[in-house]
Amino acid sequence: MPSQNLLRGAGALLLSCAALPVLAQDYTITVWAGGTGDDSNYRMDAIDMAADILEREAAIRGEELSITVESQAWSGWDDFKQAFSLASEAGNAPDLIVSGHEDIGPWSEAGLIVPIEDYVYFDTWPLSSIYPNLIEVASFNGQIWGIPQDAEARVMFWSIPALEAIGWSEDEIASLPDLILNGEFTLYDMLDALKAMQDEGVLEPGMAFGPRVSNGPDYWQFYQAFGGEMADPETGKLVLDTEALTGMYQFFVDAVEMGVVSSTHLGMEWDAWHQNAAAGSYGAWHGGTWHYAQWTNQFGLEDFFGTVEYTLIPAGDENGRANSITHPLVYLLTAAAPEEEAAIAAELVAIASEPRINALHAVKSAHLGISEEETLVPLYAENRWLTAASERLAPHTNAIPNNPDFGTYWTAMYEGLEASWTGVTSVEDAVAEVEASVTQALGDDVIVR
Amino acid sequence: MVAPAILLLMAFFFTPVVLTGVFAFTDMSTSTGISRGCYVVTPTTLRRLGDRGLGANDAEAISAASYAVDEAGLAAARDAGTDAAFLADIEERLTGETFETARDFELALRDLPNAPRSPRALKSAADLFGQSLLNHRFVTRAELAEALAAHAPGVAEEMREALTDDAYTGAVFTTENFTRLATQPETGRLIANTALYVGATLSLFNVGLGLFLALVLFYMPKPVTGLFSTLWLLPRITPVVLYTIMWKWFTWEDGFLPILAEQLGLPAFNYMKGSVVTAWMTMIALNGFIGASFGLILFSGALRAIPVQQLWASEVDGANRLQQIRRVILPQLRWPILFVTSYQTLSLLSSYEHIWLTTNGGPGKTTTVWALEAFKTALSNYSGNLEYGLGAAMALVLVVVGLVLSILYLRLFRFGDLVGRPRIEF
Repeated sequence: MPSQNLLRGAGALLLSCAALPVLAQDYTITVWAGGTGDDSNYRMDAIDMAADILEREAAIRGEELSITVESQAWSGWDDFKQAFSLASEAGNAPDLIVSGHEDIGPWSEAGLIVPIEDYVYFDTWPLSSIYPNLIEVASFNGQIWGIPQDAEARVMFWSIPALEAIGWSEDEIASLPDLILNGEFTLYDMLDALKAMQDEGVLEPGMAFGPRVSNGPDYWQFYQAFGGEMADPETGKLVLDTEALTGMYQFFVDAVEMGVVSSTHLGMEWDAWHQNAAAGSYGAWHGGTWHYAQWTNQFGLEDFFGTVEYTLIPAGDENGRANSITHPLVYLLTAAAPEEEAAIAAELVAIASEPRINALHAVKSAHLGISEEETLVPLYAENRWLTAASERLAPHTNAIPNNPDFGTYWTAMYEGLEASWTGVTSVEDAVAEVEASVTQALGDDVIVR
Repeated sequence: MVAPAILLLMAFFFTPVVLTGVFAFTDMSTSTGISRGCYVVTPTTLRRLGDRGLGANDAEAISAASYAVDEAGLAAARDAGTDAAFLADIEERLTGETFETARDFELALRDLPNAPRSPRALKSAADLFGQSLLNHRFVTRAELAEALAAHAPGVAEEMREALTDDAYTGAVFTTENFTRLATQPETGRLIANTALYVGATLSLFNVGLGLFLALVLFYMPKPVTGLFSTLWLLPRITPVVLYTIMWKWFTWEDGFLPILAEQLGLPAFNYMKGSVVTAWMTMIALNGFIGASFGLILFSGALRAIPVQQLWASEVDGANRLQQIRRVILPQLRWPILFVTSYQTLSLLSSYEHIWLTTNGGPGKTTTVWALEAFKTALSNYSGNLEYGLGAAMALVLVVVGLVLSILYLRLFRFGDLVGRPRIEF
């Protein structure tokens, strides 16, 4: 393809000329970040800080560089992903986006993003210091597409006062994380404890269990708790484990039957859920490490460590394991960025990944750091919650697969959960429907067990 | 007048319908993109082909990369305008060398004294010295076929064909969407929900309440009528977002209704989302209050057209209000009632925005109607997997249902008679 080579060559020429003192270069880098609330402003601000550093570095080299960063934060995911997909199709996409790593599959296939490894060296600092498992999460089809922006762990939280009210001693509560890790305390043991809390009158009926109120990677944890596997490590194909899915759906149906959660819990308002969680109105509820920041900053939870115990998601049965899912967000470089802008944007992300800058985001938003070095940054090191979560939860986390078809499977899984949880269909029918729709849509690309 | 009308019809009806029709027969989604696709051989492509008989050696041949610093490469780099000093370094220190992977070659290039600072510039230069087929986006089929033939001539012709087919990233034509809609149990539930939503909203509110209000206002003194008619128009003229927020204030925990219920000792919770029955009631009522005003206006107009002498005559005959309504008024409201029914059926079938902004189809998916599901499938869902093709197929079903119903209603109305020449000479 001579024409493309020529074009690339021209780009290369331009860039190699950048070393000479030339006229001032002005760049406007646009960044959109999804799922970004009040505490996550450093997803964009870090790029601003990086721009300042890059400008100063350029000045020292004798170049004049001026970078304007324009950013947009999107609090949700539906509207953000819709906006980015449609803006890309219309040619109005930003240069950089911050999104979940699972978007790499479909977006790379559609050509909406370009591999960031073409623009930065992953064997030089600071990118070389990023945890290898996070780099793997940002890779797809043998290429590195994104630079990890944060990491996390998803957590089962427990109300210490409620556990005490049903007769648990301080030691017993302290040993809960290990019991769960070893599979000695299962999801059904949890339901029994929650039921006891309600019977004791400590918690309102139907309020003892507070699962996430909307779709999220969290629900895959319950599939894993019953022995499910999302993708086959050998072939990379998606795996639908009907037995595990049955176990998972049945668990939520049983929770409804025991009266510890309502059949209409899904779809409830996030704010109400946060209020309940922060006020100790639930006996056990599951969320993520970052919720700590929300509850303590915005929802008035004062004594977190005194009132809340935190563990992995317990195993469901003997086939499954206690687990936690990490859902790192990644900086992705879009195909809409002109060559030179893309090079600058990628360089900005690399600078933003330096430990001190990334630690600002990690600590403010209660996400986990992206490198070992970051944990040494005093701000991070002295944060009790991040240190605790890194030790107890992070080592047992895994990520959802980067597969362009995973969205189809995910949607079907959640619809099945909604249908069985609300009692619209039986568990068996819900699983059969998921199986039918997934095999119909994906054919040989999914393994049914 | 005909030409602009046809133009408008083309722009706002036929073109969208035709496009929906075309998209409905594709597997278009976020992954395929809307515009034309490319041809990319990825490790996933090779794995898929492996399942269909592509040998390991062939796969290796296809994925192999080689970089050689030779005359051809240097010339290409010179043509592409690679920095002269850097090129001189390459020529002087690396001529004659070959590299197995792009990474090895890049490492060698980075060691050169005049290597560019920008990774992109260096990698672009490296690309000029070799070829790697894997993960390269070819614009046309012919380009990939040519590259495959040159890169892996040992691979059988038909296998190369299959590989090229599989490497296409764009949308392809298929009837799969309709098969899926016809076979999944979800379809039945969506139809049932839609029927309940349209049927209940229409009968209870758009026609029922509209008619009731029109009749009540008809018997009231004039000034009162004007005030109440205006009040009932509020739901229709309030912006959708504001209207739905008001319903949230009305039905959520700590909202007006739950607080009132608490005072009365009734169960108080988020009525919009807290139970399936109350979610349905909320959804029907909030849509219904908008539709009721439409019926109210039409019915009021029709009532005014009834010669008042008929009512006086019935009163003289000793008819009470109910008898009057039943025997005199309702028979003369047949056409407006049919019109409101048919018009509102079509508009309710395709409306989803109020549901989306309030119950959002929940709890679970219990209040999800066809139009909302089509919208979510095609344009708005959590996983970001926008299935434009399937969504278009769902929308097409709505278009067809709408057209069939329209024809049915036109015949029911005897539209021909309505617009026919008057039989009375004026």
